[in-house]
Amino acid sequence: MSVVLALVALVLFPGGLFVIFGSLAFEYADRKLVARFQNRVGPRWFQPLADLVKLLVKEEIVPVGVNRGLFNGLPLAALAASLTAALYVPMAGIAPAWGFRGDLVVTVYLLMMMTLCIGLAGANTQDRFSLIGSTRALTQLFSYEAPFLLALLGPSIAAGTWRISEVNGYAREHIWMIVTQPLGFLVALIGLMGKLELPPFDAPEAETEIVSGALTEYSGRGLAFFHLGRDVELLVGLTLISAFYLGGLGNPLHFILKTLVLLFVTAGLQSLFARLRIDQTVGLWWRAGAVLALVQLLLLIVLKILGVRL
Amino acid sequence: MSVETDFLRIQGSVAPWVSGSRTAENRLDMDTSAERLVPAVTALRSLSWGYLSAITGFDSGTAAPSDGHIELLYHFCNGPAVATFRVKVPREDPSVPSIGPLVPSAVMYERELAETMGVKVAGLPKKRQFLSDDWPENVYPLRKDFTMESAAATREVGPAVGSEEAPGTFIIPIGPQHPALKEPGHFELAVDGEIVTHADIRLGYVHRGIEKGAEDRSWVHNIYLMERICGICSHIHATAYVLGVESLSGVAVPPRAQTVRTIFCEMERIHSHLLWLGVAAHQAGFDTLFMYSWRDRETIMDLLEELSGNRVNYSVNLLGGVKYDIDGKAADSVRRGLDFLERRTTHYLKIVTTDESFLRRTRGVGAITFDQANLLGTIGPTARASGVSRDLRVEAPYMAYRDFPVRPVLDSRCDLEARFVVRINELFESYRLIREMLDHMPAGELAVPAPRKVPEGEVISRVEAPRGELFYYIRSTGGVKPDRVKVRTPSLCNWAAVLSVAVGHKLADIPMIMVGIDPCFSCNDRSITLRRRGSAESWSWEDLRAYGISYYAGGGA
Repeated sequence: MSVVLALVALVLFPGGLFVIFGSLAFEYADRKLVARFQNRVGPRWFQPLADLVKLLVKEEIVPVGVNRGLFNGLPLAALAASLTAALYVPMAGIAPAWGFRGDLVVTVYLLMMMTLCIGLAGANTQDRFSLIGSTRALTQLFSYEAPFLLALLGPSIAAGTWRISEVNGYAREHIWMIVTQPLGFLVALIGLMGKLELPPFDAPEAETEIVSGALTEYSGRGLAFFHLGRDVELLVGLTLISAFYLGGLGNPLHFILKTLVLLFVTAGLQSLFARLRIDQTVGLWWRAGAVLALVQLLLLIVLKILGVRL
Repeated sequence: MSVETDFLRIQGSVAPWVSGSRTAENRLDMDTSAERLVPAVTALRSLSWGYLSAITGFDSGTAAPSDGHIELLYHFCNGPAVATFRVKVPREDPSVPSIGPLVPSAVMYERELAETMGVKVAGLPKKRQFLSDDWPENVYPLRKDFTMESAAATREVGPAVGSEEAPGTFIIPIGPQHPALKEPGHFELAVDGEIVTHADIRLGYVHRGIEKGAEDRSWVHNIYLMERICGICSHIHATAYVLGVESLSGVAVPPRAQTVRTIFCEMERIHSHLLWLGVAAHQAGFDTLFMYSWRDRETIMDLLEELSGNRVNYSVNLLGGVKYDIDGKAADSVRRGLDFLERRTTHYLKIVTTDESFLRRTRGVGAITFDQANLLGTIGPTARASGVSRDLRVEAPYMAYRDFPVRPVLDSRCDLEARFVVRINELFESYRLIREMLDHMPAGELAVPAPRKVPEGEVISRVEAPRGELFYYIRSTGGVKPDRVKVRTPSLCNWAAVLSVAVGHKLADIPMIMVGIDPCFSCNDRSITLRRRGSAESWSWEDLRAYGISYYAGGGA
């Protein structure tokens, strides 16, 4: 029986299909919001699904000079990593499908796989735009990853556990951590935008300079997997941040409301700024992001030692 | 200093290298020869007078290959004044030295001469710029002995466009097809990491044979042909052309017609600058500004449509006047539109001067210093953003600008931000001008008859297009068709400046720097026959027309 339940959790709910369709819905909401902010009409509700199906049935062109195994395997690895990460977070506001002590660290690593795969995929081809794009993607990875991790560490230190479901439980019973740790929240949310290469952190795929960046050579299935993987990562990231900072997720209504509020904020940020150059991105993260996250963390540790209850 | 004393000064200093000179109103013509060209230009440059505006070549011969001369005209301009060196070279073996070392912006013009006129310019890079790579060797379309048959052959070309990559360099090719380019052009950027170490350009992907085509059409037909040189500044091309032809045939255009033309010119400037604002914002990844500015641009497009029935090629001009009037009702809707646009433009000015993330991409980036702008012959808003006051509406007013003076918009900060500020402030100036012209519209006729044949002679017609000075040289031999129409568009002048400032910048800044001059490839390229690769088949105008009719008769299938 437990095998059946595990399979259901993996394939149907809360992992697998639910995450895929949920993330497509979030992509739609994101695109629609940005479009409305920019005074455009925006896509119809099924557009992300239509895009996915279109890409899946398109011919996949494998360029000359690539390692075929890597070329085909990387998109799968990226998607698989994001889907796996979805199992460890309180998706849809119910308890995570799977969890163990220290699963926060594993989830953060799984979320990093995406960028790593994109970087490798770009470096695998001989295309100049891809090469520059993958250099930028990896450079960006090194700049936001540490602050993002530190920002997620804050709530877990407050809760005294590295298990996501326990942090979630702690968050539900205490004052929202966005109030007690505003700096960490800011860094986490903007770090997620950096991870997903959303504007203004879209230098790795700046179309006016390097076409599509690392994914320039991808068409068809590979591109579909990368896009889907990124959507899943958006969903997982939003779930994680709202579970940690917005008072935890206890039921589906919490989940929908809190993640949509976050999505609204990120969509607003996406349409507010001009693209940062890669040197500006790195500068921003190390000069502001990392410092803010560290300050937050130090404050937290000091308060913890002093025995102040948060 | 007046134009006359300037001309006297020039005549004095170039005298040893000039065999004869004539002056007319704002024109100084000096005959020189290929050998004496370089010292003559050096002498002129030593006076720090003006900039090289264009090099025109025309073939004075007939279809017989051995007779006649090719005459080269080097036009230097300063405000309203044009000083021209005329060099005659035999058609059998036309060759001149390059003046590129003296005037960097000359290289593009000389390249055009070499490819379309077959003038051998000593010391010029061999790389093609205007004609397609497989265009046959030794076939020069602007020669009078050119035939369509001679263009049917093809030249063998290698598979790759562009130059060989030297070991140790990493070249990013941008174009001919690239998301940053809305029109085809090819740039090669050598980069070291993210820093650009060398920039090169290849033009000519939309070379359409318009200059050659003009020689085969009547004076009236050509208005419509010229209007199609550019899809953005269409009216200004037709205006430059009709102004030239009207001055050749001595037609006095009624003041109301001049004012209507000028209003359209300014409306076109508004639509072009708003378009540019959006494109430039998009290059910086600021799509929200892009969407909003293009939404607001629709206002002016709708007004243009309301006035003329068309959004792009308004077809306002006639030889001797205009087709459309702007009456009270239309004037009111223009005023309403301008009020809306003025509010929006105030907002955009605030954004480009205060938005922190946007300023990080524009402030201090892509600076063209005053001296560079002067030396490299930049024109239009690009020059004005570097403090170089080059605006023909101010310096040499034409049409209704004589009665409605333009206040020059200058900025001395030289960077990309200045280019934004100058263009946006020019929008305010255009709104003011249009309102004044609508309020004080002269009464009278819209057009007077113009003769079918144009008397023998040549004329230079210069107007201020949205992107800068637009230069037309028109030559008539007294017939129903022009002998030569030379168009030098503003974008061509500004490439030299862009390529020289691009080096040392980050790759991410390059699209913005390029777009900072508001390049227009259609304008750049112009002039050839339509051919299909591989089939070496050339189509005559009649064939094309018949093909078009049959194509659409079949439902476009």
